[in-house]
Amino acid sequence: MIHVHPVERAWIVMGAVMLAVFAAAVFTSSLMGGIALPVPEAQVDPRLVATPGATSFGEPGLRELAPGQYEARILAQTWAFTPKEIRIKAGSKVTFYFASKDVQHGVHVDATNINLMILPGQVSKLTATFDEPGTYNFICHEYCGVGHQTMFGQVIVEP
Amino acid sequence: MRWALRSAYGLLAVVVGGTLAFAIFQPVKVLPRISLAPSLWLTNQDQRSLTSETLRGQIVLYNFTYTRCGERCAAQTSVLRALQQQLADLNTGSVPVRLVTISFDADHDTPAVLRGFAAGVGADPGQWEFATGDAAALKRAVGGGFQVYYAQAPDGGFEFDPALVLVDGWGIIRAEYRTAAPALDRLLRDIRLVAEEASNSAGVGRYAYEAAHLFLCYAR
Repeated sequence: MIHVHPVERAWIVMGAVMLAVFAAAVFTSSLMGGIALPVPEAQVDPRLVATPGATSFGEPGLRELAPGQYEARILAQTWAFTPKEIRIKAGSKVTFYFASKDVQHGVHVDATNINLMILPGQVSKLTATFDEPGTYNFICHEYCGVGHQTMFGQVIVEP
Repeated sequence: MRWALRSAYGLLAVVVGGTLAFAIFQPVKVLPRISLAPSLWLTNQDQRSLTSETLRGQIVLYNFTYTRCGERCAAQTSVLRALQQQLADLNTGSVPVRLVTISFDADHDTPAVLRGFAAGVGADPGQWEFATGDAAALKRAVGGGFQVYYAQAPDGGFEFDPALVLVDGWGIIRAEYRTAAPALDRLLRDIRLVAEEASNSAGVGRYAYEAAHLFLCYAR
């Protein structure tokens, strides 16, 4: 048996216990907390993504799936989102699909859990319900070039 | 004392090693549980009611169309016809597999029209059913539940995104194919995987399948 000084042993045990507690916390919260990690929804060819008819992002925009339920396809490119603005009634549930035409982008919609990377070649998907009327800005939060700071859009929730 | 410590470390190594091996080599493969399927209240081609409850315990592949669709929907119908033939040879144990074609053209596609259409595509009524229902309820179930966009065009036809959805016997969506012409072998493989899970996940086998879900052992 290797000789370990009692003080050093105490610190090793404390470190190991801390690691175990963190691992257990991550594990249980991921299972119990209903954490939805955004995983790639589908693959899409970035060279064709903006071509009308080639992919569902050829004509991006908002579509009504059912009363109060929408899907929004938003195309990201340097340095704009298309469409830049979507309008819905309060209480609507919107499933967002994002795809990039060129480089890597990101998006965060204010006051929602929508916080995604938009990678060229992949479709990112998340759903949010907008109960409170107001204007929810969404911005690109992954540096994408000199015009990055101008890349934003708005979800306008009407009462 | 020393042997107790050693066997405790040994046990820990076996547990950690076994978990890692399971997650890396993925001996059990599953399809993800995507979400709950919507409840359905439909009328089939024989004017009998077809609901999500009567379809419990069966693997159901849904597709969405309308009978006047014509050429645009021919590819999907022919894939389903081929699938129906292949399913005859596929042993899915105690879990029956059913194909359900839902028409969103409730005004035109009456049970009689659906029956004619079913005969036209060579559907075996015991395996492949055609159904429609109340327009507002359909919109909620197909549009809201299955997330399949459709809207009536001014000429009476429909604008829609082609899709097939695989639902397991517990009423959970397990695969979505958002394409007009899905690959036949992919459909067969997925149906086989869901059927295997249903028949093998009794007793201890259930834990292996739950572990496969936990460690995302998804078939690619």
